[in-house]
Amino acid sequence: MFFRLLFESFRRQKRRKSAALLAIALGMSIATAMIAVGTDVGDKINQELRTLGGNLVLTPIEDTLDVNIGGVNLKPASEGSFISESELPKMKGIFWGRNITGFAPFLSAQQTITMKDHIVAAELIGTYFAQPLRYGKEDFTTGVRSVNGWWKVEGEWPQDYSAWPQDQAPNMLAGSKITQESGLSIGDIVQIGGKKLRVSGILNTGGPEDQAIVAPLHIVQQILSEPNAVRRVTVSALTKPEDALARRDPSKMAPAVWDRWYCSPYANSIAFQIHEAMPNVRVEQIRQVEQNQGKILARISGMMLLLTLAALLAAALAVSAAMAATILERRQEVGLMKSLGASNTAVASLFLTEAGFLALAGAAIGFVAGAVLARRIGQNIFGSAITVHPAVLAVVIFAALLVTFVGSAGAVRKAMQFDPAVVLRGDA
Amino acid sequence: MNRSSLFLRLLFKAAWVRKDRALTALISVAVVATIATAALTIYSDLEGKLSREFRGFGANVIVTKTQGSLTADEVNAMNTALGDKNAGKGTVVPVAYAIATAPDGSRVVVGGADLRALRELNSWWSIRPIEGSSGKAWIGSRAANLFSPANGKFNISFASHAAEIQPELVFLSGSDDDSRIYLDLVEFTALTNVQPNTALVRVEGKPQEIQSAIERLSASLPQAEVKPVRQITQAQTAVVGKTRSVVLAASAVVVVLIMLCMVATFTSSVLERRKDFAVMKALGASNKTVNLLFAAESASLALVGAASGYIVGSGTAFWIGKANFEAAILPQPLLLLPVLLGSVVLALLASTAPLRLLQQIQPAGILRGE
Repeated sequence: MFFRLLFESFRRQKRRKSAALLAIALGMSIATAMIAVGTDVGDKINQELRTLGGNLVLTPIEDTLDVNIGGVNLKPASEGSFISESELPKMKGIFWGRNITGFAPFLSAQQTITMKDHIVAAELIGTYFAQPLRYGKEDFTTGVRSVNGWWKVEGEWPQDYSAWPQDQAPNMLAGSKITQESGLSIGDIVQIGGKKLRVSGILNTGGPEDQAIVAPLHIVQQILSEPNAVRRVTVSALTKPEDALARRDPSKMAPAVWDRWYCSPYANSIAFQIHEAMPNVRVEQIRQVEQNQGKILARISGMMLLLTLAALLAAALAVSAAMAATILERRQEVGLMKSLGASNTAVASLFLTEAGFLALAGAAIGFVAGAVLARRIGQNIFGSAITVHPAVLAVVIFAALLVTFVGSAGAVRKAMQFDPAVVLRGDA
Repeated sequence: MNRSSLFLRLLFKAAWVRKDRALTALISVAVVATIATAALTIYSDLEGKLSREFRGFGANVIVTKTQGSLTADEVNAMNTALGDKNAGKGTVVPVAYAIATAPDGSRVVVGGADLRALRELNSWWSIRPIEGSSGKAWIGSRAANLFSPANGKFNISFASHAAEIQPELVFLSGSDDDSRIYLDLVEFTALTNVQPNTALVRVEGKPQEIQSAIERLSASLPQAEVKPVRQITQAQTAVVGKTRSVVLAASAVVVVLIMLCMVATFTSSVLERRKDFAVMKALGASNKTVNLLFAAESASLALVGAASGYIVGSGTAFWIGKANFEAAILPQPLLLLPVLLGSVVLALLASTAPLRLLQQIQPAGILRGE
């Protein structure tokens, strides 16, 4: 009898049921989309903030001071010590190796650049552009093209030669300022340290590189006769904003706390792990980037969280109101059932079971629609989809049940308070 | 009782007698108005609020004099180009550099600047003051490790002068600055006879305001090179732009969906009253009168709901600003009219559509319960 009533109620009141279902589904798609966007926006903005470049810098532990004014490096190439290039891929093997999105090694020295009709002194910088590397079974590509997103090249990026090319002069980039001042243009050949290089593109960074020559690392190593040498490496890592735990001194932590610190992707725990993998390297946060990006990230995530909460609350209220409206509409049914002898429990369980079915169906529809919406938002704004965690489905189902029950329970109780006779007469 | 007072009475009683029904309709409108107001208020202020957060990145423009040093007039011109200093439009910190020889014979870069201003600009510096020191020099952490491991004084020499450096504090930056020593500009100039030829400039504001400030700077300093630090300006543009888009897209989704939800609620509360409708018609009311009555009821509910929604929504935005950005997001009076009008129009659409449906049925049929 109960199931028959239930079934008939759905069959006969298609319009009412679909209005309620629509409301629940809409509310739940808001919940799904907002939770997905709100939880993923941090990662997405973190990716955007990587246009700031590296947030960690590696230097040799035994290094002498940098002698650098206005971007001009005055330290002789022979002075100080080096990081060995072959060790760099080890970074990918640390606990948070996956969070290291890229790195760019640098080796630089003041050099005399001989052009067609004159000679200038400029800095020669060697680096990876998009160097394919391998660590264990993982292949990856890294270099300034991905790490220093603000570098712009007019012309072509040089390739990363593994050895000096036999048949032609290797390609390199000339800074925009140096090309302006010396009349260098794409295709020109210059001589550095007695070796010929070809300008394949003009580099514009808005920084000191604009007055330098940037060439593939292995070419610069040969010019400077420093094989396998790197002076500095900037590392771009996805990090968790600094919090109270990250600010504590790791050497004074209790083992359990230390483990928690080690297993969190803070900038300083990643730096510690890189140092573990490469003991001869000093790893430091580029504080300008690291400190500030954490703040900005926290602000944006915080705002999205609050907006998500507001939207969830609004959706809950809207769904509750919709459920209440559909049940209030049916007080005559309640009156009829009660006058035929149904107990309050029987009436309430019928209505709540109905609400439960509506909630489940609405949650399923809403989840799918919300996931599609979140995906579209991610694709349109960040160029990469926002995926919805399956756990959100559980949250949405729970929320749907809760909200519909709360919305209908109040209305059902109200409907039952009236005398059936009064309701049926239409006086209530 | 004349016609208009009867109308008002019907209108009032309809809401009063069935308070719960009026309340659900009211809530559904208020929710739409709240979320729309909150989202749009936040959206309109987001660019300014987020841009402010980029202040921490320090200088976003570098001015370099290619020949000679920056004159006092030029520094003033920069300040004028930025606008009123007190209005928080930006700061200009001139810096000079020279190379000195350290006690171990190695070379070290010494900078001269207004140290307080430099520190304010480079807010990310982690500072470790040296207790009990009467010194004035600021030492980068790497230079400190080499020359002053016990925080004591040491000597450096410039081409013509020797100088004793007494550290006041050690800073950690994670940049080239860690290898440098900074002195107060006046002292630095006295020692080296070098005047600043570079100025670190922080321009505050939204991406387009920064762009126009850079143009003003370039125009007022023909002898100098004005370069934006693209790394920072570009990140600001990208992050602010994308965050705005996300907030707009998410708000649009929420507002549209919740509007549909409201329409569903409104429609069902009108359909619920098909008996009222039938009785009125049976008593001789014209379609027009009934429509008018229902429309007036919906419109007044929507008006009250939207007004309260505007207040709650503005409050929500204000609170989100306080809680998250530590600066209130002020209500936007310009939003009031669109929110009110939008809610009323939506409510009218939601209530008149089902009426049209009802008008096709004979009142007798409805009264019989068909």
